[in-house]
Amino acid sequence: MQVHQFHPTVSYGDAISDQIQSLQCLLRRLGHRSEIFCEQLPIHFQGRVQQIAQYARNSSPVSVLLLHFSLGYSPEVIGWLKRTPDRKVLVYHNITPHAYFSGVNDVYLEAAQAGREQLGRLAALTEAGWGDSTFNCQELAERGWSRLGVLPIVFDSKRYAVRPDRRVLQQWQSGVNILFVGRVSPNKRFEDLILTFYHLKRHVLPNARLLLVGSARGMEPYLEFLQALVKRLGLSDVVFAGHVSTEQLAAYYQCASVYLSMSEHEGFGVPLLESMHFGVPIVAYTAGAVPETLSGSGLMVTRKDHAAVAELIGMLLEDQDWRARIVARQRERLRDFSPEKVEGRLRELLRDLGV
Amino acid sequence: MSEDWLEIKDENVNVEEIMRQIRERIAVRSGTTLPDEQKPEAVAQTLWKEMIGGAEEGSAIGKHVSIRQRDCDIVPRYYVIDWRIPILGPIHAVVRRIINDEIRRYLFPSLEKQSRFNRQALRALESLSQENARLRQQIEELEHASKGQP
Repeated sequence: MQVHQFHPTVSYGDAISDQIQSLQCLLRRLGHRSEIFCEQLPIHFQGRVQQIAQYARNSSPVSVLLLHFSLGYSPEVIGWLKRTPDRKVLVYHNITPHAYFSGVNDVYLEAAQAGREQLGRLAALTEAGWGDSTFNCQELAERGWSRLGVLPIVFDSKRYAVRPDRRVLQQWQSGVNILFVGRVSPNKRFEDLILTFYHLKRHVLPNARLLLVGSARGMEPYLEFLQALVKRLGLSDVVFAGHVSTEQLAAYYQCASVYLSMSEHEGFGVPLLESMHFGVPIVAYTAGAVPETLSGSGLMVTRKDHAAVAELIGMLLEDQDWRARIVARQRERLRDFSPEKVEGRLRELLRDLGV
Repeated sequence: MSEDWLEIKDENVNVEEIMRQIRERIAVRSGTTLPDEQKPEAVAQTLWKEMIGGAEEGSAIGKHVSIRQRDCDIVPRYYVIDWRIPILGPIHAVVRRIINDEIRRYLFPSLEKQSRFNRQALRALESLSQENARLRQQIEELEHASKGQP
Protein backbone atom coordinates (compact mmCIF):
# COMPACT_ATOMS: atom_id res chain seq x y z
CA MET A 1 0.00 0.00 0.00
CA GLN A 2 1.16 3.55 -0.73
CA VAL A 3 0.75 6.24 1.94
CA HIS A 4 2.37 9.48 0.84
CA GLN A 5 2.52 12.90 2.45
CA PHE A 6 2.23 16.46 1.19
CA HIS A 7 3.14 19.82 2.68
CA PRO A 8 3.83 23.02 0.70
CA THR A 9 7.43 23.05 1.93
CA VAL A 10 9.84 21.19 4.20
CA SER A 11 12.66 22.79 6.18
CA TYR A 12 15.14 22.08 8.98
CA GLY A 13 14.22 22.70 12.61
CA ASP A 14 10.52 23.10 11.93
CA ALA A 15 8.10 20.97 13.98
CA ILE A 16 5.85 20.05 11.05
CA SER A 17 8.79 19.08 8.82
CA ASP A 18 10.18 16.92 11.63
CA GLN A 19 6.78 15.26 12.07
CA ILE A 20 6.50 14.55 8.34
CA GLN A 21 9.90 12.87 8.32
CA SER A 22 9.13 10.87 11.47
CA LEU A 23 5.83 9.71 9.97
CA GLN A 24 7.60 8.64 6.80
CA CYS A 25 9.87 6.38 8.90
CA LEU A 26 6.84 4.94 10.74
CA LEU A 27 4.88 4.37 7.54
CA ARG A 28 7.83 2.57 5.97
CA ARG A 29 8.23 0.52 9.14
CA LEU A 30 4.58 -0.48 8.77
CA GLY A 31 5.41 -1.75 5.29
CA HIS A 32 3.94 1.07 3.22
CA ARG A 33 5.59 2.83 0.34
CA SER A 34 5.88 6.40 1.54
CA GLU A 35 7.28 9.52 -0.10
CA ILE A 36 7.15 13.20 0.81
CA PHE A 37 5.87 15.71 -1.76
CA CYS A 38 6.24 19.49 -1.68
CA GLU A 39 5.14 22.40 -3.80
CA GLN A 40 8.61 23.91 -3.65
CA LEU A 41 11.53 21.53 -3.45
CA PRO A 42 13.99 22.63 -0.75
CA ILE A 43 17.65 22.37 -1.85
CA HIS A 44 18.79 20.62 1.36
CA PHE A 45 16.17 17.89 1.01
CA GLN A 46 16.86 16.88 -2.58
CA GLY A 47 16.51 13.17 -3.02
CA ARG A 48 14.38 12.87 0.09
CA VAL A 49 11.51 15.10 -1.00
CA GLN A 50 9.80 15.25 -4.39
CA GLN A 51 7.82 17.89 -6.21
CA ILE A 52 4.08 17.48 -6.66
CA ALA A 53 4.65 17.41 -10.43
CA GLN A 54 6.20 13.99 -9.84
CA TYR A 55 3.24 12.70 -7.86
CA ALA A 56 1.34 11.53 -10.94
CA ARG A 57 3.35 8.30 -11.20
CA ASN A 58 2.49 7.42 -7.55
CA SER A 59 -1.13 8.41 -7.84
CA SER A 60 -3.93 5.86 -7.78
CA PRO A 61 -7.45 5.73 -6.34
CA VAL A 62 -6.27 3.30 -3.65
CA SER A 63 -3.20 5.28 -2.51
CA VAL A 64 -3.55 7.45 0.58
CA LEU A 65 -2.24 11.02 0.60
CA LEU A 66 -1.76 12.71 3.97
CA LEU A 67 -2.16 16.46 3.53
CA HIS A 68 -0.37 18.37 6.27
CA PHE A 69 -2.12 21.68 6.82
CA SER A 70 -0.74 24.57 8.83
CA LEU A 71 -1.34 27.54 6.53
CA GLY A 72 -3.35 27.94 3.34
CA TYR A 73 -2.57 26.04 0.15
CA SER A 74 -1.97 27.92 -3.10
CA PRO A 75 -4.65 27.76 -5.85
CA GLU A 76 -2.28 25.48 -7.82
CA VAL A 77 -2.23 22.96 -4.97
CA ILE A 78 -6.00 23.08 -4.59
CA GLY A 79 -6.34 22.45 -8.33
CA TRP A 80 -3.89 19.54 -8.12
CA LEU A 81 -5.77 18.03 -5.17
CA LYS A 82 -9.04 18.24 -7.06
CA ARG A 83 -7.50 16.42 -10.04
CA THR A 84 -5.76 13.73 -7.93
CA PRO A 85 -7.94 10.61 -7.48
CA ASP A 86 -6.15 9.37 -4.31
CA ARG A 87 -7.82 8.95 -0.95
CA LYS A 88 -6.95 12.06 1.04
CA VAL A 89 -6.61 12.67 4.76
CA LEU A 90 -6.06 16.12 6.21
CA VAL A 91 -3.48 16.26 9.00
CA TYR A 92 -4.24 19.49 10.84
CA HIS A 93 -1.49 21.23 12.78
CA ASN A 94 -3.66 24.28 13.51
CA ILE A 95 -3.52 27.86 12.30
CA THR A 96 -2.88 30.78 14.62
CA PRO A 97 -6.01 32.99 14.76
CA HIS A 98 -5.35 35.85 12.36
CA ALA A 99 -6.28 38.58 14.86
CA TYR A 100 -2.98 38.00 16.69
CA PHE A 101 -1.06 39.33 13.67
CA SER A 102 -3.02 42.55 13.45
CA GLY A 103 -0.59 45.46 13.35
CA VAL A 104 2.38 43.07 13.38
CA ASN A 105 2.42 41.29 10.04
CA ASP A 106 -0.32 41.82 7.48
CA VAL A 107 0.95 39.03 5.25
CA TYR A 108 0.61 36.49 8.09
CA LEU A 109 -2.74 37.99 9.00
CA GLU A 110 -4.14 37.46 5.52
CA ALA A 111 -2.52 34.02 5.14
CA ALA A 112 -3.97 32.85 8.47
CA GLN A 113 -7.39 34.20 7.56
CA ALA A 114 -7.30 32.60 4.10
CA GLY A 115 -6.00 29.32 5.56
CA ARG A 116 -8.85 29.05 8.00
CA GLU A 117 -11.40 29.84 5.28
CA GLN A 118 -9.79 27.16 3.11
CA LEU A 119 -9.95 24.64 5.94
CA GLY A 120 -13.74 24.58 5.74
CA ARG A 121 -13.64 23.90 2.01
CA LEU A 122 -11.08 21.08 2.34
CA ALA A 123 -13.59 18.88 4.19
CA ALA A 124 -15.21 18.10 0.83
CA LEU A 125 -11.88 16.98 -0.67
CA THR A 126 -10.81 14.63 2.12
CA GLU A 127 -12.34 11.54 3.66
CA ALA A 128 -10.88 11.95 7.18
CA GLY A 129 -9.24 14.56 9.36
CA TRP A 130 -6.44 13.90 11.83
CA GLY A 131 -5.14 16.40 14.35
CA ASP A 132 -2.02 16.53 16.52
CA SER A 133 -4.35 16.98 19.46
CA THR A 134 -8.01 16.75 20.44
CA PHE A 135 -7.94 20.55 20.42
CA ASN A 136 -7.12 20.49 16.69
CA CYS A 137 -9.69 17.77 16.03
CA GLN A 138 -12.37 19.87 17.72
CA GLU A 139 -11.81 22.61 15.18
CA LEU A 140 -12.01 20.08 12.34
CA ALA A 141 -15.31 18.82 13.75
CA GLU A 142 -16.63 22.39 13.84
CA ARG A 143 -15.66 22.78 10.19
CA GLY A 144 -17.44 19.75 8.83
CA TRP A 145 -15.23 16.69 9.39
CA SER A 146 -16.96 13.65 10.80
CA ARG A 147 -14.20 11.03 10.58
CA LEU A 148 -11.62 12.30 13.03
CA GLY A 149 -8.56 10.94 14.78
CA VAL A 150 -5.74 12.22 16.98
CA LEU A 151 -2.24 11.51 15.72
CA PRO A 152 0.18 13.08 18.21
CA ILE A 153 3.58 14.53 17.35
CA VAL A 154 6.35 11.92 17.34
CA PHE A 155 9.09 12.76 19.81
CA ASP A 156 12.31 11.18 18.67
CA SER A 157 14.89 11.69 21.42
CA LYS A 158 17.68 10.73 18.98
CA ARG A 159 17.22 14.11 17.33
CA TYR A 160 18.48 15.75 20.54
CA ALA A 161 21.41 13.39 21.07
CA VAL A 162 23.89 16.12 20.16
CA ARG A 163 26.71 17.76 22.02
CA PRO A 164 25.22 20.91 23.63
CA ASP A 165 26.83 24.10 22.40
CA ARG A 166 29.73 24.88 24.72
CA ARG A 167 29.53 28.65 24.28
CA VAL A 168 25.87 28.76 25.31
CA LEU A 169 26.61 26.56 28.33
CA GLN A 170 29.53 28.74 29.41
CA GLN A 171 27.48 31.88 29.03
CA TRP A 172 24.26 30.89 30.80
CA GLN A 173 24.85 27.77 32.89
CA SER A 174 25.14 29.57 36.22
CA GLY A 175 22.17 31.09 38.05
CA VAL A 176 18.43 30.71 37.67
CA ASN A 177 17.23 30.65 34.08
CA ILE A 178 13.59 30.89 33.01
CA LEU A 179 13.27 29.53 29.49
CA PHE A 180 10.75 29.83 26.71
CA VAL A 181 11.22 28.35 23.25
CA GLY A 182 9.05 29.38 20.33
CA ARG A 183 8.74 31.73 17.41
CA VAL A 184 8.49 35.36 18.51
CA SER A 185 4.82 35.69 17.67
CA PRO A 186 2.03 37.60 19.45
CA ASN A 187 -0.01 34.45 20.19
CA LYS A 188 2.89 33.18 22.33
CA ARG A 189 2.41 36.24 24.57
CA PHE A 190 6.04 37.06 25.19
CA GLU A 191 4.87 40.19 27.03
CA ASP A 192 3.31 37.94 29.70
CA LEU A 193 6.64 36.15 30.08
CA ILE A 194 8.39 39.51 30.51
CA LEU A 195 5.77 40.72 33.01
CA THR A 196 6.06 37.52 35.05
CA PHE A 197 9.83 37.85 34.93
CA TYR A 198 9.50 41.46 36.15
CA HIS A 199 7.73 40.25 39.34
CA LEU A 200 10.14 37.34 39.71
CA LYS A 201 13.22 39.52 39.48
CA ARG A 202 11.87 42.36 41.59
CA HIS A 203 10.35 40.36 44.44
CA VAL A 204 11.47 36.73 44.30
CA LEU A 205 14.78 36.00 42.57
CA PRO A 206 16.80 39.14 41.81
CA ASN A 207 19.47 37.15 39.99
CA ALA A 208 17.12 35.34 37.63
CA ARG A 209 17.51 35.45 33.87
CA LEU A 210 14.89 35.12 31.10
CA LEU A 211 16.04 33.21 28.03
CA LEU A 212 13.78 33.59 25.00
CA VAL A 213 14.75 31.27 22.18
CA GLY A 214 13.10 31.56 18.78
CA SER A 215 13.18 33.36 15.49
CA ALA A 216 11.54 36.77 15.14
CA ARG A 217 11.62 36.73 11.35
CA GLY A 218 8.57 38.51 9.98
CA MET A 219 7.63 39.64 13.49
CA GLU A 220 10.01 42.59 13.74
CA PRO A 221 7.40 45.12 14.99
CA TYR A 222 6.46 42.70 17.79
CA LEU A 223 10.11 42.14 18.71
CA GLU A 224 10.64 45.92 18.79
CA PHE A 225 7.65 46.20 21.15
CA LEU A 226 9.05 43.50 23.44
CA GLN A 227 12.49 45.09 23.52
CA ALA A 228 10.92 48.48 24.26
CA LEU A 229 8.89 46.88 27.07
CA VAL A 230 12.02 45.38 28.63
CA LYS A 231 13.68 48.81 28.46
CA ARG A 232 10.64 50.67 29.82
CA LEU A 233 10.40 48.26 32.78
CA GLY A 234 14.11 48.74 33.44
CA LEU A 235 14.70 45.00 33.25
CA SER A 236 18.10 43.45 32.80
CA ASP A 237 18.93 39.80 32.02
CA VAL A 238 16.31 39.30 29.29
CA VAL A 239 17.98 37.45 26.43
CA PHE A 240 16.45 37.26 22.93
CA ALA A 241 18.51 34.42 21.51
CA GLY A 242 16.84 34.29 18.07
CA HIS A 243 16.91 31.17 15.90
CA VAL A 244 19.33 28.55 17.25
CA SER A 245 20.87 25.28 16.07
CA THR A 246 19.94 21.92 17.68
CA GLU A 247 23.24 21.99 19.63
CA GLN A 248 22.46 25.46 20.95
CA LEU A 249 18.86 24.46 21.73
CA ALA A 250 20.07 21.48 23.77
CA ALA A 251 22.41 23.82 25.67
CA TYR A 252 19.61 26.28 26.42
CA TYR A 253 17.46 23.46 27.83
CA GLN A 254 20.40 22.26 29.92
CA CYS A 255 20.79 25.73 31.38
CA ALA A 256 17.08 26.11 32.15
CA SER A 257 15.73 26.00 35.70
CA VAL A 258 12.07 26.31 34.70
CA TYR A 259 10.24 26.31 31.37
CA LEU A 260 7.54 28.99 31.39
CA SER A 261 4.82 29.21 28.75
CA MET A 262 2.18 31.93 28.71
CA SER A 263 1.12 31.16 25.15
CA GLU A 264 -2.56 31.65 24.32
CA HIS A 265 -2.72 29.48 21.24
CA GLU A 266 -0.90 26.19 20.75
CA GLY A 267 -1.99 23.41 18.45
CA PHE A 268 0.32 21.00 20.27
CA GLY A 269 3.46 22.55 21.86
CA VAL A 270 6.62 20.67 20.85
CA PRO A 271 8.87 22.69 23.25
CA LEU A 272 6.82 21.20 26.11
CA LEU A 273 8.02 17.75 25.03
CA GLU A 274 11.56 19.04 24.70
CA SER A 275 11.38 20.37 28.27
CA MET A 276 10.14 16.96 29.44
CA HIS A 277 13.05 15.33 27.65
CA PHE A 278 15.66 17.67 29.15
CA GLY A 279 14.20 17.39 32.65
CA VAL A 280 13.06 21.00 32.93
CA PRO A 281 9.92 21.51 35.08
CA ILE A 282 7.12 23.23 33.18
CA VAL A 283 4.90 26.05 34.35
CA ALA A 284 2.30 26.75 31.67
CA TYR A 285 -0.83 28.76 31.08
CA THR A 286 -3.67 26.43 30.11
CA ALA A 287 -4.54 27.41 26.55
CA GLY A 288 -5.15 25.51 23.33
CA ALA A 289 -3.66 22.03 23.40
CA VAL A 290 -1.25 22.75 26.30
CA PRO A 291 -3.30 20.95 29.02
CA GLU A 292 -3.68 17.94 26.72
CA THR A 293 0.02 17.78 25.88
CA LEU A 294 1.00 18.10 29.54
CA SER A 295 -1.80 15.78 30.70
CA GLY A 296 -1.33 16.56 34.37
CA SER A 297 2.45 16.68 34.34
CA GLY A 298 3.93 20.12 35.00
CA LEU A 299 2.19 23.00 36.72
CA MET A 300 -0.70 24.68 34.99
CA VAL A 301 -2.09 28.13 35.68
CA THR A 302 -5.56 29.09 34.51
CA ARG A 303 -5.18 32.84 35.15
CA LYS A 304 -2.50 35.24 34.05
CA ASP A 305 -1.68 36.63 37.46
CA HIS A 306 1.94 37.50 36.79
CA ALA A 307 2.86 38.16 40.43
CA ALA A 308 1.35 34.85 41.54
CA VAL A 309 3.07 32.89 38.76
CA ALA A 310 6.39 34.49 39.76
CA GLU A 311 5.84 33.37 43.37
CA LEU A 312 4.91 29.89 42.17
CA ILE A 313 8.20 29.65 40.24
CA GLY A 314 10.04 30.81 43.35
CA MET A 315 8.38 28.12 45.48
CA LEU A 316 9.08 25.46 42.88
CA LEU A 317 12.77 26.33 42.80
CA GLU A 318 12.97 26.28 46.60
CA ASP A 319 11.57 22.74 46.84
CA GLN A 320 13.93 20.28 45.14
CA ASP A 321 11.74 17.24 45.94
CA TRP A 322 8.72 18.81 44.32
CA ARG A 323 10.81 19.76 41.30
CA ALA A 324 12.10 16.18 41.00
CA ARG A 325 8.56 14.75 41.20
CA ILE A 326 7.38 17.08 38.43
CA VAL A 327 10.32 16.14 36.21
CA ALA A 328 9.63 12.43 36.80
CA ARG A 329 5.94 12.83 35.89
CA GLN A 330 6.88 14.78 32.78
CA ARG A 331 9.29 12.01 31.70
CA GLU A 332 6.50 9.49 32.14
CA ARG A 333 4.18 11.59 30.00
CA LEU A 334 6.87 11.91 27.30
CA ARG A 335 6.72 8.15 26.71
CA ASP A 336 3.26 8.65 25.14
CA PHE A 337 4.96 10.43 22.25
CA SER A 338 7.65 7.86 21.56
CA PRO A 339 7.88 6.60 17.95
CA GLU A 340 6.62 3.17 19.12
CA LYS A 341 3.49 4.62 20.78
CA VAL A 342 2.68 6.90 17.84
CA GLU A 343 3.29 4.02 15.44
CA GLY A 344 0.56 2.05 17.21
CA ARG A 345 -1.79 5.01 16.94
CA LEU A 346 -0.95 5.47 13.26
CA ARG A 347 -1.65 1.79 12.61
CA GLU A 348 -5.09 2.17 14.26
CA LEU A 349 -5.93 5.25 12.22
CA LEU A 350 -4.91 3.56 8.98
CA ARG A 351 -6.92 0.49 9.94
CA ASP A 352 -9.97 2.74 10.39
CA LEU A 353 -9.43 3.84 6.81
CA GLY A 354 -9.25 0.22 5.72
CA VAL A 355 -5.53 0.43 4.94
CA MET B 1 -6.70 36.98 42.79
CA SER B 2 -9.43 34.43 42.18
CA GLU B 3 -9.27 30.97 43.74
CA ASP B 4 -8.48 27.80 41.77
CA TRP B 5 -6.10 29.40 39.33
CA LEU B 6 -3.56 26.63 39.82
CA GLU B 7 -3.85 23.04 38.54
CA ILE B 8 -1.44 20.47 39.95
CA LYS B 9 -2.22 16.81 39.49
CA ASP B 10 -0.04 15.43 42.26
CA GLU B 11 -1.50 13.68 45.30
CA ASN B 12 1.49 14.75 47.39
CA VAL B 13 0.84 18.41 46.76
CA ASN B 14 -1.72 20.48 48.61
CA VAL B 15 -2.76 23.00 45.98
CA GLU B 16 -4.84 25.00 48.46
CA GLU B 17 -1.83 25.36 50.72
CA ILE B 18 0.40 26.53 47.87
CA MET B 19 -2.14 29.13 46.81
CA ARG B 20 -2.45 30.30 50.43
CA GLN B 21 1.32 30.67 50.71
CA ILE B 22 1.45 32.60 47.45
CA ARG B 23 -1.30 34.93 48.68
CA GLU B 24 0.65 35.51 51.87
CA ARG B 25 3.88 36.23 50.04
CA ILE B 26 2.15 38.74 47.78
CA ALA B 27 0.43 40.36 50.76
CA VAL B 28 3.80 40.94 52.46
CA ARG B 29 4.92 43.17 49.64
CA SER B 30 1.58 44.97 49.18
CA GLY B 31 3.19 47.99 50.85
CA THR B 32 5.35 48.44 47.76
CA THR B 33 2.35 48.63 45.41
CA LEU B 34 2.82 51.00 42.48
CA PRO B 35 0.18 53.47 41.23
CA ASP B 36 -2.08 51.85 38.61
CA GLU B 37 -0.52 53.62 35.61
CA GLN B 38 2.98 52.56 36.68
CA LYS B 39 2.12 48.89 37.12
CA PRO B 40 4.06 46.79 34.60
CA GLU B 41 0.84 45.42 33.10
CA ALA B 42 -0.40 48.98 32.43
CA VAL B 43 3.00 49.95 31.01
CA ALA B 44 2.82 47.00 28.60
CA GLN B 45 -0.71 47.89 27.54
CA THR B 46 0.17 51.53 26.86
CA LEU B 47 3.27 50.54 24.94
CA TRP B 48 1.33 48.03 22.85
CA LYS B 49 -1.15 50.77 21.88
CA GLU B 50 1.71 53.13 21.02
CA MET B 51 3.76 50.69 18.99
CA ILE B 52 1.35 48.16 17.52
CA GLY B 53 -2.12 49.42 18.18
CA GLY B 54 -3.99 46.64 16.42
CA ALA B 55 -4.57 47.74 12.86
CA GLU B 56 -8.14 47.67 11.64
CA GLU B 57 -9.14 44.82 9.41
CA GLY B 58 -10.32 45.72 5.93
CA SER B 59 -9.57 49.10 4.51
CA ALA B 60 -12.07 51.95 4.27
CA ILE B 61 -9.84 53.60 1.71
CA GLY B 62 -10.41 50.52 -0.44
CA LYS B 63 -13.92 51.85 -1.15
CA HIS B 64 -12.38 54.80 -3.00
CA VAL B 65 -8.98 53.58 -4.17
CA SER B 66 -8.24 49.94 -4.97
CA ILE B 67 -5.33 49.45 -2.56
CA ARG B 68 -5.36 46.50 -0.19
CA GLN B 69 -2.99 45.59 2.61
CA ARG B 70 -1.87 42.70 0.43
CA ASP B 71 -0.83 45.12 -2.34
CA CYS B 72 1.44 46.98 0.07
CA ASP B 73 3.68 43.97 0.41
CA ILE B 74 6.06 43.96 -2.55
CA VAL B 75 8.34 41.17 -1.32
CA PRO B 76 8.15 38.14 -3.67
CA ARG B 77 7.71 35.59 -0.88
CA TYR B 78 6.30 32.74 -2.88
CA TYR B 79 8.65 32.72 -5.88
CA VAL B 80 8.89 29.12 -6.99
CA ILE B 81 11.85 27.80 -9.00
CA ASP B 82 10.66 24.67 -10.66
CA TRP B 83 11.77 22.33 -13.44
CA ARG B 84 10.20 20.09 -15.99
CA ILE B 85 13.20 18.90 -18.04
CA PRO B 86 14.96 15.81 -16.65
CA ILE B 87 18.74 15.77 -15.91
CA LEU B 88 19.50 19.38 -16.93
CA GLY B 89 16.39 20.76 -15.22
CA PRO B 90 17.48 20.13 -11.60
CA ILE B 91 20.98 21.55 -12.27
CA HIS B 92 19.44 24.63 -13.84
CA ALA B 93 17.07 25.01 -10.86
CA VAL B 94 19.89 24.68 -8.31
CA VAL B 95 21.91 27.41 -10.06
CA ARG B 96 18.89 29.68 -10.23
CA ARG B 97 18.12 29.06 -6.55
CA ILE B 98 21.66 29.91 -5.47
CA ILE B 99 21.52 33.15 -7.50
CA ASN B 100 18.04 33.84 -6.10
CA ASP B 101 19.24 33.34 -2.52
CA GLU B 102 22.12 35.75 -3.09
CA ILE B 103 19.84 38.41 -4.57
CA ARG B 104 17.36 37.92 -1.71
CA ARG B 105 20.11 38.55 0.83
CA TYR B 106 20.72 42.15 -0.20
CA LEU B 107 17.42 43.01 -1.86
CA PHE B 108 14.93 41.77 0.73
CA PRO B 109 15.77 44.23 3.54
CA SER B 110 15.02 47.15 1.16
CA LEU B 111 11.84 45.50 -0.07
CA GLU B 112 10.70 44.84 3.51
CA LYS B 113 11.39 48.50 4.30
CA GLN B 114 9.38 49.64 1.28
CA SER B 115 6.54 47.27 2.22
CA ARG B 116 6.44 48.69 5.71
CA PHE B 117 6.39 52.21 4.27
CA ASN B 118 3.54 51.21 1.93
CA ARG B 119 1.51 49.89 4.84
CA GLN B 120 2.09 53.05 6.85
CA ALA B 121 1.15 55.16 3.82
CA LEU B 122 -2.06 53.14 3.45
CA ARG B 123 -2.87 53.70 7.10
CA ALA B 124 -2.24 57.45 6.67
CA LEU B 125 -4.53 57.48 3.62
CA GLU B 126 -7.10 55.59 5.62
CA SER B 127 -7.09 58.13 8.44
CA LEU B 128 -7.17 61.04 5.92
CA SER B 129 -10.13 59.39 4.23
CA GLN B 130 -11.96 59.14 7.54
CA GLU B 131 -11.09 62.73 8.37
CA ASN B 132 -12.33 63.83 4.95
CA ALA B 133 -15.63 62.01 5.44
CA ARG B 134 -16.05 63.63 8.83
CA LEU B 135 -15.36 67.12 7.42
CA ARG B 136 -17.79 66.56 4.52
CA GLN B 137 -20.47 65.65 6.98
CA GLN B 138 -19.78 68.76 9.03
CA ILE B 139 -19.93 70.97 5.91
CA GLU B 140 -23.25 69.40 4.91
CA GLU B 141 -24.63 69.97 8.38
CA LEU B 142 -23.47 73.59 8.31
CA GLU B 143 -24.99 74.10 4.85
CA HIS B 144 -28.30 72.66 6.05
CA ALA B 145 -28.17 74.87 9.10
CA SER B 146 -27.41 78.00 7.04
CA LYS B 147 -30.28 77.20 4.58
CA GLY B 148 -32.65 76.86 7.47
CA GLN B 149 -31.75 80.35 8.75
CA PRO B 150 -33.89 83.34 7.56
